[in-house]
Amino acid sequence: MLAPRDQPEISDTELVQAAQKGDLAAFEELVARHRDKIFARAYSMMRNEEEALDLSQDAWVKGWQRLVQFQGDSSFITWMTRIVINLCLDQLRKHKRQRMESIDALDEESGGVERQMPVVEVNPTQGLERGELRQRIDAALAKLSPEHRTALVLHEFEELEYKEIAKRMDCSIGTVMSRLFYARRRMASLLASLKRESLE
Amino acid sequence: MNEELELKLQAWVDGELSGAEAERMAALASGQSEAGQLVAELREVKMAMMGADIPRSVPESREFFWSKIEGQIQSETQRAPVSKPGLMARWRRFLMPLAGLAAASCVALFTLTHPKPVTNDEFTSTDEAMDTTTFHDQSSGLTVVWLQDNDAARPTSVRPEQSDDMTVTD
Repeated sequence: MLAPRDQPEISDTELVQAAQKGDLAAFEELVARHRDKIFARAYSMMRNEEEALDLSQDAWVKGWQRLVQFQGDSSFITWMTRIVINLCLDQLRKHKRQRMESIDALDEESGGVERQMPVVEVNPTQGLERGELRQRIDAALAKLSPEHRTALVLHEFEELEYKEIAKRMDCSIGTVMSRLFYARRRMASLLASLKRESLE
Repeated sequence: MNEELELKLQAWVDGELSGAEAERMAALASGQSEAGQLVAELREVKMAMMGADIPRSVPESREFFWSKIEGQIQSETQRAPVSKPGLMARWRRFLMPLAGLAAASCVALFTLTHPKPVTNDEFTSTDEAMDTTTFHDQSSGLTVVWLQDNDAARPTSVRPEQSDDMTVTD
């Protein structure tokens, strides 16, 4: 047992090495350290607490099962984040199949009303405190379609390139560009309307 | 402005273009043109999202959250299929006792059909409690170990069929 509780002096690398040898206590420490970040990423994609909780839990189980494959090319948390993102994408695909015939799906491919929206001329984020801006962005993200939100989260928060997002989302680079574009235009519109509401 | 141009402007904002294409987009975006306004809007959203990833906490205690993961890990481990022995392994398991029996029968048959004087042969007997007798035939290089109960009478000749248990070694 390598991992006495709450000992930050033990690095992630040491904990991973111990866990790779079957030390479950070391793995538990890794879960305790990073569970919030993994949950937050799942939530940012799913926008549903219960689903995000289940998916983050599944990600940790998968992480344990595949731990021997972890070579340390990236940090452990980056590796775990990839696992939870893939699980969320699988779940979103299941949801999409269920709503394939709906208007949402048609809007997603054509860009919906965002295609015809005029450019937002007022600066919707000007003069906002960081915390308030975060809250507004979060509220706006919640209103995007899952596909648009996912493209934006992967690009802006995970800092993935178009090519990598296309691979993850199992679509073409053109589709990624299109999704990102309409996601940003919708975000600009939502942020502008939130600003107008706050001024009234 | 057509859709293709809009997407190219966005790619330029995201640093996905280089060379002549990037220069063309930069020229288009400069000034108060429609392209310039679109680029300003895309940049605004991009800047606003930097660092806007809201931290969230798992709405469960460390112990409870871990207990569910641990339980799932353990049940997955138990559910892992136990590999069945292969065909050869099953045959080997079946044939090995038969091979042993056949070897013992051969030794017994050989001993009965080729009685030999025991002049150069060796008898070794361990202590009384063990009642173990070893017979070594130097001419054939054969050793017979004969085990018998304490109460049983000591054999007068090496007859495997009289023994309670017998081990044959070369």
